[in-house]
Amino acid sequence: MLSSSHSPETTSFSKDLRQFLYGRECPLEEIPFSEQLIRDHVSAGWINLTDGIQTSGDGFFSSITGRKKYLCVRCGNANFAAFASITCGRCGRNCVYCRHCLNMGVIRSCTKLATWIGPAPDRAVPTPEEKLCAWSGNLSPEQTKAAAELDSALSEGDSFLIWAVTGAGKTELLFPAVEHALLRGERVVLSTPRTDVVRELYPRIKAAFPEIPVSALYGGSSERQPEAPLVIATTHQLIRFHRYFDRVIIDEVDAFPYHFDPMLAYAVKKAAKKGASIAYLSATPPADLKNAFLSGKLRGVKISRRYHGFPLPVPRFMWTGNWPQSLRKGVLPKSFIEWVRGKNAADRPLFCFVPSVRLAHLVTELLQKEGFASVAGVHAQDPNRHEKVTAFREGRIRILVTTTILERGVTVPGAEAAVFGADDPVFDERALVQISGRVGRSADRPDGDIVFFHNGKTLEMIRARRHIEQMNREGGF
Amino acid sequence: MNGLVCLICGQDRQERMTFRTLLSADSSPGFCRTCREKFVKIPQGHSCRLCGRDLGLMDEKFISGSVCTDCRRWEKSGGNGCFGRNIALYSYNDWMKEVITTFKFRGDAALAVGFRKEFRAAGRKIIGKDWRTHWERLRNGKHHPRETCVIVPMPLSGNRLKERGFNQAEVLAELIGEPVVPALCRIGGERKQSKKNRRERLESGENPFKLDEAFSEVLHGTKVLLIDDIYTTGATLRRAAAAFERADPKCVDSLTLIHG
Ligand SMILES: [Zn+2]
Ligand SMILES: [Zn+2]
Ligand SMILES: [Zn+2]
Ligand SMILES: [Zn+2]
Repeated sequence: MLSSSHSPETTSFSKDLRQFLYGRECPLEEIPFSEQLIRDHVSAGWINLTDGIQTSGDGFFSSITGRKKYLCVRCGNANFAAFASITCGRCGRNCVYCRHCLNMGVIRSCTKLATWIGPAPDRAVPTPEEKLCAWSGNLSPEQTKAAAELDSALSEGDSFLIWAVTGAGKTELLFPAVEHALLRGERVVLSTPRTDVVRELYPRIKAAFPEIPVSALYGGSSERQPEAPLVIATTHQLIRFHRYFDRVIIDEVDAFPYHFDPMLAYAVKKAAKKGASIAYLSATPPADLKNAFLSGKLRGVKISRRYHGFPLPVPRFMWTGNWPQSLRKGVLPKSFIEWVRGKNAADRPLFCFVPSVRLAHLVTELLQKEGFASVAGVHAQDPNRHEKVTAFREGRIRILVTTTILERGVTVPGAEAAVFGADDPVFDERALVQISGRVGRSADRPDGDIVFFHNGKTLEMIRARRHIEQMNREGGF
Repeated sequence: MNGLVCLICGQDRQERMTFRTLLSADSSPGFCRTCREKFVKIPQGHSCRLCGRDLGLMDEKFISGSVCTDCRRWEKSGGNGCFGRNIALYSYNDWMKEVITTFKFRGDAALAVGFRKEFRAAGRKIIGKDWRTHWERLRNGKHHPRETCVIVPMPLSGNRLKERGFNQAEVLAELIGEPVVPALCRIGGERKQSKKNRRERLESGENPFKLDEAFSEVLHGTKVLLIDDIYTTGATLRRAAAAFERADPKCVDSLTLIHG
């Protein structure tokens, strides 16, 4: 009809573009649609553009130092030292760029970040009668109570802390709350700082919710489902989202690097919708959450008993003499070797935690020299890390020498653990509690040995042991 | 940027305090010892006289008279034109690959600063601005050397520059601390170029590099130092050198960060 002269661009938006951009924050040049189409959407008010780097240079501080203050809008970096500048080939001016989030694509002063601000897409809401959770196990009384409290907190839009001993069965107790959120048509993300934890959680979550599309996002992952209402992601990956999730669950909230990198807290905040409730899970919560919980500002629950009802194995201390000196001579301390020999003969899988990558190589080598077969060493930069962990889980590797990278997330039934050089400063209370938590996780092998091999007890070792004993007392043992 | 932390790993740059470090008080940004030691330096006393590769990494049978077989092939084929020689500072290894990827493709131009000291020293030596050359000149009574050298970065095409946001060769050239002359431009995309194999590249006639005529007078009779990040086959640098022929420079040499 000739009388309606409205061009279609101003009255309707591209559904494909919305599907691509909704809930994301994307540099303009990375949007795979024509510039004209995007520009039309911007002028129609469906897409918002923000400067990638915000500059504030008018304050008193900058007037005396001549320094400007920068903020990277994508990652939240505001540390002056983490910016650099170049003569930009894109805009021809001197551009500042963020060095902090470079590995996700560079953000410069001339970068525009696009977000969808038009109408939200419809969501498929499951019918309320549907049963989404296929997990058929039973929750312990502690788990049941915690699950119910979490469910009601999240339904009421409150944040929540689950402070649970290692091996309490945190994942399973999330299921009722997740199921109800999904039934309400909400988007849920289960996020953790550690890639290993995402890899461990993904198959379990997928099995628990077989009808629901689940995405797993970590560096190099391929399990990406567009519009999956349930997402499992490293905290790092959340940086790409923008006001997308209704419920955020952060597992291992005290783990490195979340607790040390303000960017990750910024990412969580940005990925969540305004006012979304957040559930925090940890065996060793950081001080701010712990205090908020203890003072009643943050709802939460403490679980001091493992799901199988047995107490936490309490670490033993064993003196090795001057272990750095022994290693320099190319020998392992006698007490350590004898312990490993005994455990290996009893056919128990062994974790051996060491303070550094260098020691991971060295101790692995020395154990091999001692004649132990199937020993392997892993560390964060090890390209074969995932294969080795799988081999350990499947019993093909019997002794896994590792840095603190595996202090959490990896569960191997019947495993026992040694901390070699437990007096090294990298082993603080939290790390030692987590490591001790690797032992006695399964119901058929709820016991197990955890030994701190040291050349002089440290305060952290004593605190870790006290922490575990205290949890056992609270658990009624 | 903060001179106290490593540009690559972000760790403290724990340099041992010695008289030298105290005296030089080097607080300019750079790499930490651990990151630096993972690079493989090319020993300048034992490198190919023509392409600058580390001869220690080669089988003896591929070397004759401090020149590698690849360079002999260039000589025989007559493909050198006015191209003289290349000097490279580091051999390519996995670590360098990682760092260069972050520098070039992720856009972390600041990383170049970590190579400043070595790159600057090498560049100034070639153009005769290092202290040793100065001293020799003074000793020989030549106070006003007439010989000049023009530093020219390898150009990127307009599209590539837009996509990448900066020209890595230009960033490296600026490390030398002498005027940089953008005398070359590049027409046509780089991508097609790299997909061709060596022979195709040599055989396809047209040169993607063009000399900006405005500079041809300046370049007449001078030495030219081309700067690039990496010397791979040497074909690209030789093509760039060929573009200078019309201006008739004295010679065209090149300096690259990497050989690999
Ligand atoms: Zn720019
Ligand atoms: Zn950033
Ligand atoms: Zn470093
Ligand atoms: Zn050569």
